[in-house]
This record gives sequence, C-alpha cells and structure tokens, in this order.
Amino acid sequence: MFIVFSILSHWLIVLALSPLFAGIIAKIKAFFAGKKGPSYFQLYFDLRRLFMKNCVYSRSTTWVFRFAPIVNLAAVLVLSLIIPLGSFKAPVHFSGDILLAAYVLGLARFFMIIAALDTSSSFEGMGASREAFFSCLSEMVLFMNFITLAFLTHSISLSTMIGADIPMSWKMAGTVLLLVVGSLFIVLLTENSRIPVDDPDTHLELTMIHEVMLLDHSGVDLGFMLYASAIKLFIFAGILVPIVYPVQTGIPLLDTLIFLGGMLGLSIVIGVVESTMARLRLNRVRNLLLIAFALAFFGFVVKMWKG
Amino acid sequence: MTTWVDTSCIITVFLALIILSNYRVTAMIRIFALQSFVLSLLPFFLHAYSLSGRDIFIVIVTMVLKAALAPSILFWAIRHVSMRSEIKPILGFGSSIILGVILIAGAFWVSSSLKLPGGKPASDLILPCSLSTVLLGFMIMVTRTRAVTQVLGYLILENGIFLFAVSLFDVMPVLIEMGILLDIFVAVFIMAIVVNHINEEFEKDLASVSRSKMGETF
Amino acid sequence: MLSILILMPFLSALGVLLPVSKAFRLKLFLVISLFYGLIVASFWKHLPAGEYHGFIVLDPLGLIMLSIIGFLYLSVSIFMMGYFNHEQRSTRIFMACLMLLLSTMTLASVSYHLGLLWVAIEATTLFSAPLICFHRNQQSLQATWRYLLICSVGIALALMGTFFLAIAAHEVHTLLLPSLLKGASSLSVDWLKLSIIFFVVGYGCKMGLAPTHSWKPEAYGQAPGMVGVIMAGALAQCSFLGLLRISQICNKTGLADFYSSILIVSGLLSLVVPALFILGEKNIKRAFAYSSIEHMGLLVLGLGMGAVGLYGALFHMINNALAKVIMFLTAGSVAQKYGSTRTDEVTGVIHIYPVTGVLLIAAFLAGIGIFPFATFHSELLILNAAIISRHFLLAAVGVSCLAVMFIGIGKIVLGMIHGKPKEPLIAKKENFYMNMAIAMAVVLLAGIGLWMPGALKHLISDAVLLTGAV
Repeated sequence: MFIVFSILSHWLIVLALSPLFAGIIAKIKAFFAGKKGPSYFQLYFDLRRLFMKNCVYSRSTTWVFRFAPIVNLAAVLVLSLIIPLGSFKAPVHFSGDILLAAYVLGLARFFMIIAALDTSSSFEGMGASREAFFSCLSEMVLFMNFITLAFLTHSISLSTMIGADIPMSWKMAGTVLLLVVGSLFIVLLTENSRIPVDDPDTHLELTMIHEVMLLDHSGVDLGFMLYASAIKLFIFAGILVPIVYPVQTGIPLLDTLIFLGGMLGLSIVIGVVESTMARLRLNRVRNLLLIAFALAFFGFVVKMWKG
Repeated sequence: MTTWVDTSCIITVFLALIILSNYRVTAMIRIFALQSFVLSLLPFFLHAYSLSGRDIFIVIVTMVLKAALAPSILFWAIRHVSMRSEIKPILGFGSSIILGVILIAGAFWVSSSLKLPGGKPASDLILPCSLSTVLLGFMIMVTRTRAVTQVLGYLILENGIFLFAVSLFDVMPVLIEMGILLDIFVAVFIMAIVVNHINEEFEKDLASVSRSKMGETF
Repeated sequence: MLSILILMPFLSALGVLLPVSKAFRLKLFLVISLFYGLIVASFWKHLPAGEYHGFIVLDPLGLIMLSIIGFLYLSVSIFMMGYFNHEQRSTRIFMACLMLLLSTMTLASVSYHLGLLWVAIEATTLFSAPLICFHRNQQSLQATWRYLLICSVGIALALMGTFFLAIAAHEVHTLLLPSLLKGASSLSVDWLKLSIIFFVVGYGCKMGLAPTHSWKPEAYGQAPGMVGVIMAGALAQCSFLGLLRISQICNKTGLADFYSSILIVSGLLSLVVPALFILGEKNIKRAFAYSSIEHMGLLVLGLGMGAVGLYGALFHMINNALAKVIMFLTAGSVAQKYGSTRTDEVTGVIHIYPVTGVLLIAAFLAGIGIFPFATFHSELLILNAAIISRHFLLAAVGVSCLAVMFIGIGKIVLGMIHGKPKEPLIAKKENFYMNMAIAMAVVLLAGIGLWMPGALKHLISDAVLLTGAV
C-alpha cells in the first residue's frame, strides 16, 4: 500500500514541477536577451492546449509513429521512479538499477529515433542520425560517471549513489566529485539538447538535432513528447543537484526546500550557459563529449588512486 | 587546504590534456598561461597557515615568469606567422584524448608503487599529477611539428617538474627553485629568439619556399 | 682560487661583448686561456681548498676535467687567431658564449653539490646553443633547434633525477656529495634506483648516448670546428662527470651492479648505433660526430666495468678530448678552405695543403685509436676490462663496431685527402696558427701514447680510488 502511495506522490511531484523548471530556464534566457519572455507557467498552458487537440498523422507513417510518444512518456515516468528526488526516496530501488535507468532512457530514445525515421522525411533522418551519434557518446560518459560514483559509494543503486554517502565523499574525495559533476553537467546538456550541443529554439530544420524528433508530432502526441523532454530535464537535474549540494538535515521539509533551491540554482546555471554560449559545430560536439569522457575517466583514475 | 591543492593538481593535468588535443597555437598558449597561473598559486595553498616571505616570492616570480612573460614571448614569436593551426595534425582530437587519458592512467599506476618517505605530504595527488603532466608535456612535444608548439610542450613538462618540486619538499634547496625558474626564463627567451630567427630566415626565402611548407618549422 | 677560475671567464665574456676590435677579442681570449691553463697547471702541484661551505671543491676527477678544458680552450684560442682571418661574421656573441661556456663548465667540474652541478650543466646547454648556429643558415638553425630541444628535455629529466635523489636523501637533508656519501646507508634504495635511471637518461642525453643521440650529427655537422671541439671534447665529458658523481654514490650504497648493468646497455647501444650510420655518411663533421657518440659509449662502458674499466675510462676522457681537438679543428680548417665538409666537394687536400692533409690523417688515426696515439691504449684498457669481467660477447661487439667506424671514417678521410684536387675558396697558403693548434694536440696525444707521465698515472689512480669502484 505504502509503495503505491509513494509512487503516486513521486509522479505527482515530477509531473507538477518539471514544466516549471523548463519555464524558469526560458525566463532566464529571455532576461539575457533583454526581453520579458514567456510566463513561468507557459509550458503548462502549452501542454493544456495540446492535450485538447487532435493529432494529425502523415500518410507515410505507421503504428511506430503513433506508438513512440507513449513509449517516450512511459519510459521517462518509469525512470523517475528510480531517481531519488532530494529527501524523497526513490520508490523503486534495487542493486543495479542504474542499468535499468540507462536502458529505459535508451528505450525512449530508440523509439523517438525510429519514429523520426518512420516519417521518411530527410530532415528527420538527418536529425535522427545526429541524435543517435550523440547519445552513443553521452551514454559512454554517463556510464563512466556511474562507475566512478559506484566505486565511491560502494553500491550500484542510484538511491545510495546520490543518497546519504555523498556528503562524506566531498570531504574525502572532493576532486573526484568535482570531475564527476563537470562530466555529468556536460551529459545533462547533451541528453536534454541544450546549447552548446543543440539549440532547442531553432526553427531551421538543418540545424535541428532533437527538435527534429518533435517536428512531425502534433496534438496529444506533441504534448507527450514535450512533457517527456521536460521530465527528462528535471530528472537529470535531480541527479546532479544532490551530488553538488548534498544536505541531509533530517527534517523532510527543510531537505525538500534545499533540494528545490538547488534545482532552481541549477536551472539558473543552465540558463546562463545557454545564453552565453553559442551552439558548437557538430564535430566540436563530439570533442566536447570526449572531453566529458576524459573528465569522467580522470575522476575514476583519481578515485582508484585514493583507494 | 588539501582540497584546493588537489583541485589545482587536477586542473593542471586536465589543462595539459586539453592542450594535447588542441592544435590551435593561440588557444594552446592561452590555456598554458591559465595552467601556469593555477600552478603558481600552489605554494599559497600548501602553506596557507604558515606563509613565509619565500612562499610569496616564489608565487609572484612564478606568476610573472610563467603566466605572463612566457606566453607573451611566445605570442611575440608567432606574430609573423600567418597560419595559426596545424595543417595535418599527427593525432586527431579523439586519439589525443584517448592517448592522454591512457598516459594519465599510466602515470597514476606508476606512482602507486612509489612511496614518499618522510611523513605525510600535503596532498596525495601531487606525485601522480606531476608525473602525468610531465608525460603529457612529452607527448605534446612529440606530436607537434612547429617550433612554438614544441616549446610549449617543453614548458608544460617544466610545469610538471615544478609541481613536483614545489609540493614535495618542506625545506627545499633554493638552488633548485632558482634553477627551474632560470631554466624556464632563459630557455623560453633563447627559444623565442631562435624561433624568431627561423621565422626571419623564412621571410627572406619566401620566394623559394613552397606554400605548403609555410606552417611547418623547417 | 676556484672562484677566480669561474668568475674570470664570466667577466671576460662581458668584456668581449663590448664594441672592441676583433683582434682585441682574439688576444683577450688567448690571454684568458693562457691564464686559465696556468692556474690549472698549478693545481696539479697542489689542490686548492674548497670554497662556499663545500659547494665548490676540486678533487682529482675535477682536476682531470679542468685540465681537459684548459687545454682545449688553449688550442681553440690559437686556432681562432688563424681562423678568423677569413671570417667576416661578427665574433661578439660567439666569443662571449665561448667564455660563458668556459665559466659554466668550470663550475660543473668543481661543484660538489649535485643541484649546483645540474644548474651548471643546464647553463652549458643554454650557452652552447648560439655557438652552433654561428653560420646562420637554415640547416644550422635547424640543428641548433634540435640540440636545444633534445638537450633541454634531457636536462629536465636530469632535474627530475636530482629531485628523486633528494627524496632518497631526505634524512641527509642536503645534496652535498660528502654528506651523501657519509649517510649512504640511510638513502632509500627505490628512489635512488629511480633517480639513477633518470640521471643516466638525462645526462646521457647531453653526452649524446644512444638513443638520445640524434642531435649530435646535426649539431656537430653544422657547428664550426672550434665549437665541435669544445662540445665534443669538454661539454660531453662534463655530463660524464655527472655520471661519475652518481657512481660515487652507487658504490657506497651497494647499487653498483644495478648501475653498471644500465651503463653497459647504454654503452653497447652507443657503440652499435653509430656503426650503423657511419657507412653511408659523406660529411666529415657528421662522421666525427658519430665517432664522438661511439667514444662516449666507450666511456660509459668503461664506467660500468668496475675499477679497471674506470681507469681506462678516465684515461680515455683525456685522450678522447685531445683526439677531438685534432679531428674537429682539422675539419674546421678544411671547411673554411673549401666551404664544405662533404666528400664530393672536397678532394685532393694533400696536393694543395700538404700540412692540413697530414693533420687529417693524424685526425683519422687519433680518432680511431691507432698506435702511437694514446686513444689506442685507453680503448684497449676498456675492452680489456670487459674481458676481465667476462663480458666476452660485449667485447666482441665492441671491437667489431670500432672496426666499422674505422672503415667509415677512413673512407671519408682518405677520400678527402687523395684524388683530383678541387679548387679551394681561399688562398693556397697554410695558416700557421691553425696548424699550430692542431699540431700541439697531435704531439701531446702521441707523447702520452708513447710515454705515460707519472703525474697523470697518479692523478687517474687517485680519481679511481676516490670513486670507490671495485
């Protein structure tokens, strides 16, 4: 009984807060551009509007195209069950759940890519191949980070990796965590298609990487895809924030507030990074990901050195 | 203060790795200046609770020589050169990063069998990081064909040795510090002059030297 | 006394930099060299006291080195009086660097602190670089660049070796040689082994041991003859002095076997590699550079063979230096006369310049080690030591490599001497000073080969005893 309650409450938080998170980032980007920008709750309004519309399907698509948004959202929601959010324990945790997390993400991405290919349009094909390439590299980096964290916390369950052990590790292995945080930040930017990897606001199909996945969806499907992207961003931020700012005061309310404050801070950082950098050339993105891998591997080497 | 020392060591090695993979001369010189700056702050971090005049002197001299003077001399040496990057890099970006990471891992592995005698040093990471920087500096020298970038590799090798020297002795013989600093200064100066003359030679023979050789040293 | 020896060339370097006439500079150089030689000769009678709290001490090893340096500079100063008659380039930087080199090499020979030794050898690297590109053409600049780069890396490695030694000696707390020898039992063996490896690679790089020898043919090939003499005869041996100091420590700490195995490997490599390259060589200076690598290999081999080999090696230090005087000064003389040192551009020397031709033959014989030149005896001593310590294969390989060098250099030298005479660039007159300088060395080398002075024997024996080799 309790597990059902915790799953539902976990989902409630994730579903409620992730569009707000995306809205904060958009607001910061507008601030840097000197504009007033869209409302903080714009994504909520967009989702409401989209959920009330019908879907339009191209005649060249098959059941895969209709199926993909559902898989995407479902996979991301399953992923959110494994991630602990601040003081809220992950409802589902077992040894080895990082593998489940990574491959659930992979499942979502796989369906997005084949849905894009399903449209038999050249823009989608181009974008899908780029998306596949970058996700290959970012998965390698992600796993390297997980390995380092696993050695640090002596467990391969996400709840304990990002959980209570981390405050001790900052004091003992601060440098390792510094490298891991740097690497994970780059992974966050890659997985969620932020500048400098991909421009989420672009309307030029030639330059799209992730946007192209959303190009042909409409109505409820588009709503699902947008929601899934927002939740994915929230989840990745939720992985990063407890590592950066691990505070366990014991009082649930205070912990939650601190967690949310950390998320706010991270969203500001992402917004600043997005506003001050330009999108990298595509082969430079590969270099960036290799640098992220070097950071993670270096962190691993330092961890092994420290014993 | 251990965290600061550790962080400086890590940054030094990582910046050396970045330089290894980068083939644009101006970027390399700038990153080297940043690395020297971080390195020159190390005596501060090591003796944060018991700063002596000697520490401050070393910090200032190192900062001026390595983070300001050396990069400006290098920039001066390339002022006439039009091509600012390698035509055909020996190693691509990915290969350089992988190779650099393997070298770092190798340096850490070698350091694990070396035990520092004489009490606990200020930080655990200094020995492996200095060895890594030395190895990366070597690799940079080997993978470059232009005079200026070879000098840069040598300077990074010197940075690695400096990291080793600064951090491992409580009572360091003054001579070695001065030797390091003298070495860097004079070497950079002479190398810059030689490079300058090399460039001058090139300028004179412009008609006979083929276009494709312009970016290479000789 | 010792500080005067170090400061005097330093100050005269500043004097040379002043805008004075070339003749004045040459005379100043000659005077300083004579003065230097006289002071060093006085040390043979009576070793001076140490200075600066034992940082600067003259011992028999250092005295051997100082004598070599003194004689080399004397012959070079006489040679220069004839060489610069036809040279148009400004000699300011050249002579200043030579003087500074003298000062720093003296410092290296007398420093009893291993850190100071490193600083001195580092300084020699930096001051010898401008000497190589005296002729300022593209190849000499390239050679200078290569020299600077490779030797600077070697010096950096030697610095790391010094650091490792300091860690090994953390209980002794100083790098002064007497303290290190006294506290030899407290040195940490692992760190000492590591430092030995770095020292051999680092100082070996400066000596020109294979595999870090690639700068030698280029640098010696492009440098003027006098620079070749100083670098091959004195500079390389200064680095060898560094290895000798390490051997002093090794013999005390019981790492003699470890050290000698490393040295034997280096020596063997340095014997084999020049033999591989000499046969296709057409440039006489580059051939002499290969000969220099080979002789350095012999020195290192001798060091690794215990006391008997060490005796041969120290004797070989002197003979090698004298032989290099003959070889490189002759090559420099030929280079100035013909504008080139290649066998296709220089032939029939003996028909136009008979004395120079004879001196070329003497250079060949001295460099290879033919009786009556003393190099014969010292090479024999080293190979003898190899056989005594039962390294038969090593001795066989050594002899065959020497034979190959004989063929290689003989081909070049004899090709230059005989044949149809090519037109030289300058007058067909022999220069007195140049020939005088070379003839001095020939007489000295042959003299030592025929009759070894007792004082020299005593000095070398003292040096071997000092090293503590067995």
